[in-house]
Amino acid sequence: MSSQLLESDRASALERFRTTGTGREKPSRYWKFDLETLDVPMPSGTPGGSVEIDAPAGRIVACDLQTAQRDHAALLERAFGKAIVPSMKFAHLARAFTHLGAFVYIPRDCASDDPVVIRYRSAGSSSIFPHTVVFAERGARATVVEHLDVDGDSFVCGIAEIVTDESADVTYAAPQLASESTRILFTRAALPGRDARVTWATADLGASLSVADIAVIAEQPGIEAHVASLFFPGGSQHVDIVSTVDHRVGETTSETVVKAAATGAGQGRYLGNIRIAARAQQTQASLRDDALLLSKRAHIDSIPALEIAANDVKAFHGATVGALDDDAIFYMTSRGVDRAAAERMIALGFFEPVIERFPSESLRETLREALQRKVEPA
Amino acid sequence: MSDQGLRISGLQCSVDGNEILKGIDLTVEPGKVHALMGPNGSGKSTLAFSLTGHPKYDVTAGTATLDDEDLLALPADKRARAGLFLSFQYPAAIPGVKVPNFLFAARQAVRPGELTPAKFRALLLEKMDVLGMDPSFLGRYLNDGFSGGEKKRLEMLQMAVLAPKYAILDETDSGLDVDALKDVGESVKALRASEEGKNTGFLIITHYPRILQHIEPDVVHVMIDGRIVKTGDAQLAHRIEREGYDVIREETRALV
Repeated sequence: MSSQLLESDRASALERFRTTGTGREKPSRYWKFDLETLDVPMPSGTPGGSVEIDAPAGRIVACDLQTAQRDHAALLERAFGKAIVPSMKFAHLARAFTHLGAFVYIPRDCASDDPVVIRYRSAGSSSIFPHTVVFAERGARATVVEHLDVDGDSFVCGIAEIVTDESADVTYAAPQLASESTRILFTRAALPGRDARVTWATADLGASLSVADIAVIAEQPGIEAHVASLFFPGGSQHVDIVSTVDHRVGETTSETVVKAAATGAGQGRYLGNIRIAARAQQTQASLRDDALLLSKRAHIDSIPALEIAANDVKAFHGATVGALDDDAIFYMTSRGVDRAAAERMIALGFFEPVIERFPSESLRETLREALQRKVEPA
Repeated sequence: MSDQGLRISGLQCSVDGNEILKGIDLTVEPGKVHALMGPNGSGKSTLAFSLTGHPKYDVTAGTATLDDEDLLALPADKRARAGLFLSFQYPAAIPGVKVPNFLFAARQAVRPGELTPAKFRALLLEKMDVLGMDPSFLGRYLNDGFSGGEKKRLEMLQMAVLAPKYAILDETDSGLDVDALKDVGESVKALRASEEGKNTGFLIITHYPRILQHIEPDVVHVMIDGRIVKTGDAQLAHRIEREGYDVIREETRALV
């Protein structure tokens, strides 16, 4: 049966994709893209694309999904699809066509400082449907970095899921710097075990359309969830992010930090869900999302949504949308820094709280350079 | 050479259409310390912001030159490059911009190409040591989460690093305890004792005379209702301490 894991359920997944809503409100009048009418290039035959996986030496197993299905079927089955919930529309689409992917298995008490690096590539202008499964056993600690090298008019619909046992600690970083002609939809879902910690660090800087659902389902006590996300549509790019932390039991902690900027005619939308169930007492949740508008035509909708059914919780949310702070610009220029440079420094600094969640200095520098290019005057 | 100094003449300034400064004449000579005192709301900070080029402060008449350069024709960054520095009463917090990165950018703008990053870092550490600042400041974001005292110390550090020709300290003493006040005094003395800062002229704006126990002024001006109503030596500050502004206001009512 496990040899059929990838092939099973495709038809019903496609049906679920067709019948599930996007989980987003109707677009505001500014919003020029309607996900409901997204034109999905359905693949005929086996989709293209490839995956390259680099794992640090040691006990971590990192391989492509087909190999995992053949050699580690029992382990794969413990995690594959487990973090996906029915409302994740685009995960069903990915599931219907998944043909390439990576499996990362971190055995019990195995701790690694060097990341597992996964690189998905599209061949030319094809559609790819990648699926990464990270499974960490009790006390294991690891970092995974996912890159998307896609160009042309590639369409990507993927899944990354993290499933852990007790007291594991997994950081998953996804710096998305794809070519601006591509369309990318990604579902990122985590199902941590008791006392485990998961961190999603995502940056959406490329693609003409980038849609992401980022979720942590906290259904064991002691879970600590971090979601750090930045995006920056420029030109005519659209970015549409939904993050959800679902506190289903108490004594769970989450922190969501989102920094978004838009320039040119770029449009961004962020919906931040924090759900605290009635029995999830002693939950602590914070949601901080800030948006920076760098041009008159740029637009960002930012919607924090807190649903709190328990009464003994600490929940914080704060949101701002605005232009660059005039007082900050004056302060910097009064020290001799010219206005354009001051604006760049402030805009780049704005993203730092998210950048610092990325796991390596080289990755952080790559992001800073990519952001720098976006704030340079055209 | 004859026009050296921060020279302000007939300066009038409005904010949101309200005239605040009603004709200021003041010259700070190189190497001299001028104190500008006055009650709250008299226009002292408006003078500081109008000289440094804050866009909300609309200069409607008068001139201001810095060693012959027409300040009012320049945007804020070029005024700083001409050698003007303002220590803010309420410095802006700029999250994500680290103290040394900003200070290096400012130093490079004001004194281009003088220092390599390594030499700059050494200079920064040396100046921080003089100010009794912990090296952990270097890892922090500009004024972000700083206490009032830490913000003022960072302003003094920037003054030390930029070594301006003319420094305006806008109520740098406000909200400081005795020790922090002494440190502000020490940082002014340190700049004056340095090669770069030996000719720096100071305009020290203050409500209270107590900062002047640490920095002896050469000249003291009193500003009331947008005008300088009295100018004297350090004794004037002592008089204000004893008698308050009301006596001066009474004496100069005819002027105002």
